[in-house]
Amino acid sequence: MGLMNILKKLKEKEREIRLLVLGLDNAGKTTIVKKFNNDDINDISPTLGFNIYTLDHKNFKLNVWDIGGQTSLRAYWRNYFENTDGLIWVVDSVDKLRLSDCAKSLHLLLQEERLLGASLLVFANKQDLPGALSAQQIENFLDLKSLKNRHYMIIGCSGHSGENLLEGIDWLIEDISTRIFTF
Amino acid sequence: MGSVMKSSGLTLNHKKKHSTFGRRVRKDIATSGQSTDPDSVNNNLEQELAVKESISPDDVVKLNKITEGYLCPLEANTYDIEFTRFKIRDMETGTVLFEISKPSDAVDEGSLDDTEDGHDGRFVRYQFNSQFLKLKTVGATVEFTVGEKPVNNFRMIEKHFFRDVLLKTFDFEFGFCIPNSKNSCEHIYEFPTLPVDLCEEMIRNPYETRSDSFYFVDNKLIMHNKADYAYTETPS
Repeated sequence: MGLMNILKKLKEKEREIRLLVLGLDNAGKTTIVKKFNNDDINDISPTLGFNIYTLDHKNFKLNVWDIGGQTSLRAYWRNYFENTDGLIWVVDSVDKLRLSDCAKSLHLLLQEERLLGASLLVFANKQDLPGALSAQQIENFLDLKSLKNRHYMIIGCSGHSGENLLEGIDWLIEDISTRIFTF
Repeated sequence: MGSVMKSSGLTLNHKKKHSTFGRRVRKDIATSGQSTDPDSVNNNLEQELAVKESISPDDVVKLNKITEGYLCPLEANTYDIEFTRFKIRDMETGTVLFEISKPSDAVDEGSLDDTEDGHDGRFVRYQFNSQFLKLKTVGATVEFTVGEKPVNNFRMIEKHFFRDVLLKTFDFEFGFCIPNSKNSCEHIYEFPTLPVDLCEEMIRNPYETRSDSFYFVDNKLIMHNKADYAYTETPS
């Protein structure tokens, strides 16, 4: 108990939060992260490695890691699990053909021991496009309700317009901070 | 030009007094009234380091001024890590203040001279408008590519000095880098309010603001780059 308190206090002092952004290729991970940081989203190409952002947000130091989602890169995701406080899973709500692939990848990921404690935010992205499935439909497809002992939230969003990005990330930070920084 | 690019990504966070956003950060506060002469201490330390087989992060953390030389040869970069873009934007206005990328080499405000004096592209000279020192929130992006070998525990330590005053230490752990990957990192940070007289001194003494950037893989120094800076008072 004493040690845990010390550890928590140490972490609280830094108020550092590490977020990992994953999802299939073309889900819109980089667009979401860039939009959130007011960066230019007109010229985005497939991520062939990582994009890191460090920023201050609501008195927290956020380290956001956006890792490429191409099949060949997914094998490397595990190199970035360590110390992750929050996982942002991005779904292309229009790409119905790959939804089962998407669900499989997510559930595989959530079995990962080093991510057991991470809060989960699912962005049902591309809500601005015609034919996008709703956040609720995506929630059912991904079978999120079956998750045990996992704090999660799913929210429809648009990386292009920025709709609901802040809402989602605020929930995630709130959830992490009440979990980590209070005792 | 490739040589310019190699060095261009190394100057994250200009003029920050001390930084807190890396994963492992050591704060250094500028000290003035030291009893030992920093020159001799540092020179001795640098000489000691120069003969070491490999240099660790702990070694460079102790340095209290700009090094005279480079602490590792170019060949130490056996991972083909190459910097391909460097950008600074003002977060208040969204304006890109400085951007240089390979191979287009476009320069916005601020210019960059490679002094071609045997530094092998490890040295970059920056000229900024003095208004630069008044920015509030800044985003500094560096983009780099990695060769065929995976890179473990990639870490950067960067130290900025004006003369012997440590303006900031910057310490960030990238961790693992995927083979043949292209990566980017943007640090968005509050610009420190430097004392007015210090700013004036920095403006009056071009290129006496300098930085050392050290890059480590598995705690071994593999790259060392240098930069210096001038802040000129010209109407923008």
